[in-house]
Amino acid sequence: MAARPPFSSLRRWRSLPKLLTTGLLALLSATVLLVLLPASGLSSSGMSASPVAAADPVTVRVLMPAPLADAVAAPVAQFNASSPGVVLEVIRGPLDTETISDLATGSLLLGEVPFDLLLVDVSWLARYVAAGWFEPLERWFGPEVLAAMEAGARLGNGLDGHLWRMPLTGDTGLLYWRTDLMERPPRDTEELVAISRDLQRRGRVRWGYLWQGRQYEGLSCVMVEVLHGFGARWWNGSTARTELDSPEAVAAAQWLAALLQDGVSPQAVASYAENDALQSFAAGDAAFLRNWPYAWREIEKGGGPVKGKVGVTAMVGAPGEQGGGTLGTWGLSLIKGSPHPEEAVAAIRWLTGPVVQRQLAIEQGYAPTWSTLYDDPDLQRRAPLLTVQRQALQHPQLRPPTPAYAQLSDLLARQVNGMLTGQGGSGSTMAAAQRQSLQVLRSLAGPAGDTADGRPAVDR
Amino acid sequence: MRLLVLLWSLGPLLWQLRTSLLRPEALLAPLLEGNPWTLANYRLVLSGDPPFWRYLGNSTLVALATTVLTLLLAVPCAYGLQQQRGLLRWGVGLGLVAAAMVPTVLLFLALLEIARRFDLANDLFALSLPYAGLSLPLAVLLLRAAFGDLPAELEDAARLEGLGLGQRLRHVLLPLMGPALASTGILVFLASWNEYAIALTWISRNDLLTLPIAIARIGGGSVFTIPYGAFAAATVMGSLPLLLLVLLAQRPIVSGLTRGAVKG
Amino acid sequence: MKARTASLLLMAPALLLLAAVFLYPLLLYGWLSFQASSVLTGLEPVPNGGANWGRLLDDARFWTDAFQTLRFAVCSVALELVGGLGLALLLHRPLRGRGTLRALTLLPWALPTTVMALGWRWILNDPHGPLNAAIRFLGGSSYGFLSTPATTWFFVVLADVWKTLPFVGLLLLAGLQTIPEDLEEALRLEGAGRLQILRRLTLPLLVPYLALAVLFRLAQALGVFDLIQVLSGGGPAGSTESLALYAYLNAMRFLDFGYAATVMLATFLLLLVLVGGSWWLWRRGDLQGRREGAA
Repeated sequence: MAARPPFSSLRRWRSLPKLLTTGLLALLSATVLLVLLPASGLSSSGMSASPVAAADPVTVRVLMPAPLADAVAAPVAQFNASSPGVVLEVIRGPLDTETISDLATGSLLLGEVPFDLLLVDVSWLARYVAAGWFEPLERWFGPEVLAAMEAGARLGNGLDGHLWRMPLTGDTGLLYWRTDLMERPPRDTEELVAISRDLQRRGRVRWGYLWQGRQYEGLSCVMVEVLHGFGARWWNGSTARTELDSPEAVAAAQWLAALLQDGVSPQAVASYAENDALQSFAAGDAAFLRNWPYAWREIEKGGGPVKGKVGVTAMVGAPGEQGGGTLGTWGLSLIKGSPHPEEAVAAIRWLTGPVVQRQLAIEQGYAPTWSTLYDDPDLQRRAPLLTVQRQALQHPQLRPPTPAYAQLSDLLARQVNGMLTGQGGSGSTMAAAQRQSLQVLRSLAGPAGDTADGRPAVDR
Repeated sequence: MRLLVLLWSLGPLLWQLRTSLLRPEALLAPLLEGNPWTLANYRLVLSGDPPFWRYLGNSTLVALATTVLTLLLAVPCAYGLQQQRGLLRWGVGLGLVAAAMVPTVLLFLALLEIARRFDLANDLFALSLPYAGLSLPLAVLLLRAAFGDLPAELEDAARLEGLGLGQRLRHVLLPLMGPALASTGILVFLASWNEYAIALTWISRNDLLTLPIAIARIGGGSVFTIPYGAFAAATVMGSLPLLLLVLLAQRPIVSGLTRGAVKG
Repeated sequence: MKARTASLLLMAPALLLLAAVFLYPLLLYGWLSFQASSVLTGLEPVPNGGANWGRLLDDARFWTDAFQTLRFAVCSVALELVGGLGLALLLHRPLRGRGTLRALTLLPWALPTTVMALGWRWILNDPHGPLNAAIRFLGGSSYGFLSTPATTWFFVVLADVWKTLPFVGLLLLAGLQTIPEDLEEALRLEGAGRLQILRRLTLPLLVPYLALAVLFRLAQALGVFDLIQVLSGGGPAGSTESLALYAYLNAMRFLDFGYAATVMLATFLLLLVLVGGSWWLWRRGDLQGRREGAA
């Protein structure tokens, strides 16, 4: 190394302690500055709150999954044109239900919410309400407004005496049947199986009944229908507990298992989601399909071998029991703390109003909620499923309206899928599901989970 | 042999490049006519809202802030550690090694709690705080090794001359640490750019997303149409900055990792 | 002892940040795992005894994920070691353009995981991705790689190995470079073949680096998160879900912070047992080897 210059010239500098303290102070202040630095010009832009003059239009933002966002694009434009002072902006979110929920949750947890309205699926409502993220709506939508809806469509929107969501659709699970293979749809589960086996024996069709048996939320929807159809229930609202080990529940699970064992449904059903089952049915492989209303449109649009030969009916139950389809509705909720609640409510009123619902029914096949729409003969003509959907809305089934639903659904789907893939009998499966559900409730709610009604301990 | 290795390393990357330059129809089936190549995917990605280069900018900002903060904290710490003897030195060293091995994602819940409590969310500068903390173990270990490499006589001579600590650091030691500082800095920069879990939970605003999160969102938002051409374009653009960095700075990176390995 | 306190003071700010980032989480998780802190308690912690831990023991999803994560980590690390060693040996030889080769092979490691994960999704796409195109070209029929558990898992491992192999390779290369060349020369003059040199000289001297690589990579692999979230989403049907992903879902999707903390703490413990155990085994083997060598 080359010779260094002498160090003596630096003796002028102050001594150690002073340097250390100034250094630490500098570090501390730098850190404090960084921490307290609000969204500065560099780290944010565009969304900074600029002073809004009274004449500036108010922007109301609503987060929706992409397909629905596209479907309401025209009505949104209409709303914007006819309401000066309010601009409704639709944020297109991901298609997948879970993904869009995660997106919303991430923002809500951090307290920085870039939207005023959220399109909420019925299965998340309890969780979001318990987290205290929504504003109750009964102030603007009183009982007289709700009375104009079909009774079934009113379900799944209220909790603890408050209205938390205005429903946009009234979809339920439906039973699809082949009109070319039978004269009328089955009236109960036994008839369904009998007809299937007969058709299979005669070689008219490969499989009897296609449904969603994959380990995901779709299987929970199927379970809700089957449990109800056998007189069992998943959730007891008064005790806030699950009742999965009742004899009726075991019978329900056993029926599903038997479908695979007896060959009425293919083994592959254990990996089917909605689209897989639909694809197979649309190719003419089966006599019956359990799916949502959108499937009808897909079959008719697809132009496959069964086009024009498909009928739809309400979901069936066991002989002597009333069947019921799972409610799978979307609705709009108002985010608590939105700066423009009045304008946002106006947007809700429009988007869930009859004009938009009529268009959704005609173009996408979604079931409306307003009774007047169901009475409309023109709509009855243009939306062929309307009568069936109305009939289905007489006995819709709710998934357990508890904030713990996601976990309960996950473990039931896991257990039942295990049963379908041969890992256990119906009795042990439901017993395990019940035991694990109780553990989850206890773990989630503390000592309150053992006795109370599963409502949040802190009243918001 | 070398060709195989190159194919393995670069194959997927080159394929992404190819995909990004193809028209959507050409992706699904080989085109019989017309030019399959296009820049439309890039235009799509760049004209998004917010435009793609914004994510690159966000990541760079956080990475720079993290690197500066980390070095500011790590240099004195490494020096101090180097001066320690016995149990404290060994203990802290072991602790740092253990900390360096912890997968970042396991810390996200506590850090989310901190973000909510101190209102640090959606702030790119604040994000550099946990990032610096996560990079500190590696940085301190590398810099301590570098300090240890310096001949002791140099500092002794400076001390004899009457220079205080600050002066010794500034005028004697740090200039010699240049390469070590550079490689440590680059490694911290790379790590910060790569981080996912903390940014995922700390940043929810669309225009503040860092690159990995933005890419994940783009990929997760797929609807029935599969714009893989656009995905590929995003992938290529997301890769470019770091690829360039590595190609230009491969010597310091390698020497940094090497030193870490030898001393570790 | 002015110098002593001075150096402690120098370390203080960094140690403070480290404590906040590493120590605080552990303490928080320990405490939180004995609380119910979920949507049912209004996101406020309420003591619930050991209910979370009881639930963990009976939680099929947790144990499945633990097994899957472990399997992923072991396979991934094993492949990285073998591949990394090969790469290191290749780069150790005096080749032309060695520097560029080294730089180019480093590229996969530099990319953010999620960026390339998206790329892999396209490569594996059924039916349009290049892999399926190649299969069809060779006469087969396209396959849904990401819809079967076995193949999804295989490609998750492959993607991870692709990314981290350069890192391991570099580590081992550093070790190779510390082996004195004259020893190698001596062995070669004795007539030892390449494989024999590898076995008798290189590998034993490389053990500390191999151990370092194994321990480090094992710990990191047990926390795999971003790769899985983007490449497979934990699917199909949760077959590639890792412990970290499960913990994340518990917190951010189910809003169940008490249980999420429990899962993460359990993962930490698993990590500790595995890495600590491996380290202890290695030390024991190392000491034994030295005793034998000295004898």
